[in-house]
This record gives sequence, C-alpha cells and structure tokens, in this order.
Amino acid sequence: MIAIDSYAYTNNLKTVHPAEKSFFAIITMVVCLTSPTAITPLIVLAIMAGGIVFMAGISARVFVKLMLVPLSFLLISVLTIAFSVSTNPSGFWLAQTVNGLTFGIRYPDLITAVNLFLRSLGAVSCLYFLALTTPLTELITVLHKLKVPFIITELMVLIYRFIFVFMETATMIRRAQFSRSGYVSLKSSFRSLSRLSYALLGKVFVKSQDLYNAMAARCYTGEIKVLTKKRPVSLRNYLIIIGLEIPLIVLNFWR
Amino acid sequence: MLELILEAVDLEYSYPDGTIASRKVNLQVRKGEKLAILGSNGAGKSTLFMQFNGIYRPSSGSIKFQGQDISYKKKPLIELRKKVGIVFQDPDSQLFSASVWQDISFGPLNLGLSEEVVTERVKQAMSDTETTDLEDKPTHLLSYGQKKRVSIAGVLAMEPEVIIFDEPTAGMDPRHSQEFMQLLEKLSIEGKTIILSTHDVDLAYSWSDRLAIMYRGEIIAHGVPGELFMCPEIVERADLTMPWLIEMHSELVKKGWLPPSTPLPKTKEDLFQNIPAKTICKAYRTNSSMEVSHDFTFRRNSCGA
Repeated sequence: MIAIDSYAYTNNLKTVHPAEKSFFAIITMVVCLTSPTAITPLIVLAIMAGGIVFMAGISARVFVKLMLVPLSFLLISVLTIAFSVSTNPSGFWLAQTVNGLTFGIRYPDLITAVNLFLRSLGAVSCLYFLALTTPLTELITVLHKLKVPFIITELMVLIYRFIFVFMETATMIRRAQFSRSGYVSLKSSFRSLSRLSYALLGKVFVKSQDLYNAMAARCYTGEIKVLTKKRPVSLRNYLIIIGLEIPLIVLNFWR
Repeated sequence: MLELILEAVDLEYSYPDGTIASRKVNLQVRKGEKLAILGSNGAGKSTLFMQFNGIYRPSSGSIKFQGQDISYKKKPLIELRKKVGIVFQDPDSQLFSASVWQDISFGPLNLGLSEEVVTERVKQAMSDTETTDLEDKPTHLLSYGQKKRVSIAGVLAMEPEVIIFDEPTAGMDPRHSQEFMQLLEKLSIEGKTIILSTHDVDLAYSWSDRLAIMYRGEIIAHGVPGELFMCPEIVERADLTMPWLIEMHSELVKKGWLPPSTPLPKTKEDLFQNIPAKTICKAYRTNSSMEVSHDFTFRRNSCGA
C-alpha cells in the first residue's frame, strides 16, 4: 500500500490532470464490467498494462505483482461458480459421478466463470492505473469538484494524512519493543502488541487535540479550505480517451 | 520601539489534571523586537504561547493585544490569530494535509484572500523557507527538518505581525538552522515581532534583543541578554547553562587577555575582534595575525624541545 502511494507521486503521468486520469479509469472500468464477451476485458487489461508500464513508467514486475494480489480471492470465487454438484448427471460438460452424485462443470457455467474472472481482473487493472498514477490528494480535489459533501472530502484529507503519522508512530514503538526483546515468545508478543495498541490509542487522542489547536491557530473555522495545484487540461488527452473508448463500447454492443 | 504589542498580565493556567503550567506570568512584548524565551523542558513555554493567540484561555489574568484584553468570542479570536501566528514544535501535528502546497495555502485562504494573492504568498513563503522543490512531494515522505520548514512556510504565508516559533531549530541540521536564523533576521528587518522559545542558550543570547527565562511555569528573570547572563545563579536555577561566548569572555578577562572594560561579545565575530593580536610576536614577523600566532607557537614549542 505504501509502495502504491509512493508511485503515485513519482510516476511519469503525475502532471496529467487528475480528472483526465479518473475519467479514463472509471469509463474504462464501466465498459469492462458491462461487457458480455471476454474480448473487451482482455483489451482493457492490455491497455491498462500498457498505460501503467509504458506511459507511467512503472516496472512490469511491480504491475504483475500487484495483479497477483487479487488473484487468489478471484480464483476461489470463480471456482465456486464453475463447479456444480447435482443428482442429475445430464448437462455436464466435464463430470465425475460418485454414488449418484455428479461433480463437474457445466459449459455455460464455465463461460460465465471465465468472463467474470476476466472482467474483474480488467476492472482491477483500471483501479490500479488510477491508484498508481494519481496522488490521493488530487483525487480528493476531483471528488470536491464533483460536489461530494465537504465532510467526506475533509475526512479523507485528514485520514489519509494520519494513516502515515500513526503508521510511523507504530513502527517506532514496535522497533523500540523489538530492541528490548518484546517479541521473543508468544506471550511477550501478545503483551507487546497490546501495549502498542494502547499507546497508539492514547496518541490518537493527543494528536487529534494538537491538530485541532494547530489548525485553530491558523484561523480554522470549521471548513478546510485549501488551494489545489492547477494541472493543465489537455483536450488531446480527452480525444485519445474517447478514441479508445468508442471502439470498446461498439465491441460490447456488436452481437 | 517601546510600543507594546502583546502583554501577559498575571497569567495563571493549569491543565485539567492539575499541572500548573503558568504561575503569575507577566511578560511584555514590544513591537518589532526579538524576544527569546529560554527554559528547560516543561518550563511552560508552549503553554504560554498557546495563550498568546487564544488557543488556551487562562484561568486567571489576561492577555493584552495592542493594549486591549483579548476577547474569546469567535470573530475577535480569528482577528487575533491573523496577527499572531504560531509555528508549533511538532510539525506532524501542524501539517494536516499530505500535500505541501495545500497545507501552506490553508492559513492564507482562511484570511479570506483571493486565490491569486494566496498563490503569490504560498510561492513567496516556499522560496523563503527553501521548500519550493518539495512542492510535489507528499508530507509523509519528507524528513523531519523538511516538515519543519513546510510548517514554518504555512505560518509565514499568513503574514502575521507577531510570529511565535516554538523550538524552531530543534531537529534542523546546522545549515538549515543557520538559514532559518537568517530568515528570522529578514523578518525582523521587515518589522515583524518575533518570539522564539528554545533551550539553546547560545542561540538565545546571540539572537535576541530581550530574553525571558522561564522555570516551572514562572518567568524568573527577564531583561537584556548581556545583563541576564551576568547572574549565574538564575541560569543555574532554570536548569540552563551559560552561553559559551560569555564563559569564554569572562575567562579571557580573568586571565588578563582582555581588559575588564571590554564590552560583552554578542557574536562569535565580536569575540574574535576583541581578542588582540599578540604583540610580542611582532618581533618575529608582522604579517597577518593568523600566521603570527602560528609562528609564535611553533617557535615556543621548538624552544621547549
């Protein structure tokens, strides 16, 4: 998660307007999820892989590793769809009958499973594209422009910032515990972990009060107003996106 | 110069757990001056600062801004905070956004300025604190010193009249702390009133026009740094040490290298200037003072051997 976050700030597409990247990722994801065939998801996967590896300049190894993360969940759910158990042996494409019970795969189920698998993978690649190329702070400004309520965007700003503050604190406490043999046995591990959680909880309250004071000192009145970095809006990018999406949409309606 | 801008009158403050953080604090801050507040950890410096812009409300006594008691109603408080800015000690509790640019723009936008003006101010504050190249980095990937500079920029961009720095140079490397002191000098020339807390006695002594020493919530002494450091018992009582410049100066006076009438050096350069070149050496050579002293020690050593 930390790795994804740091790519968002260093990739080659970081200066592209966040709205363009979000538009591209979301539209492609919708097209991918609504596709009735297996071809569109494959094309989407190829486009996103190309975008991440060649356009954003993130190494293919990182991309493959990230794609492997959802694979295990996906395989389990897809297998349960593909396999069926029945007392009626008819209609199976590949089956084994034991004691009157038939285990196996029905052909339409297999097609559904493969389609679902590819569609999910394609959609995940779209989300990765967005996460790897766009810093969260810029995504929040897009949400803000889309008139998402203040309370949500402000919470996102604060939560995102404080994930890192607390993670750093937790890492430091853990390191200090390790250096004093805090995790040598199962018992001491449990004790150390409980102390860590307790210390962290205390810090949360102290930090939140400190943060409020510091913001009040800068004339905070209940609404976080910030200036966002202006990125150039490129008509060319929008044309490219539309040029890519139209054939995909047409492909979806082909049959 | 004698116009008072901020004043603490009989300030008392205690935390909910009963810790008394301010005891009858009386302090006057003059417009345009450089005031250092010196004190060991837990002396009550930060608590005093939080009262200066109305974050904490004293249990008794009052804070006066430009001669008037400050009001704790919403509007006047915001007006006060426009004029009195605080840079907090821990940058992690001041930076609320992961974007450097957004964080610095927060304060000036709250002043109700237009976007153009805010952009201008943010850029200026970033160049003053040398954070321009950090603009696109997220705050969680910055080092402590970098975060500190960003948090300073966040307050500078508001252009307050009084700027309070809570332990500003703690955690900064020597180069950046030196540059920070230059920035303070610049702000001071622009006419800002600067209050700074520290436990670095050398820094407080060299930089400040006036000095207040805090100990356990009390101001035990205040005055001109040169006079204040002449009383070793106060310095010791406050768990502080003497500035090396003064120790060096008094040692040189004691051993007869400097006449007792020599003025106290305010900076390292002053001290070096006070130290006369060795006149005995003139018999050997009369080049630059550096060469002479080297030459002198060399000959003496060779004589001894």
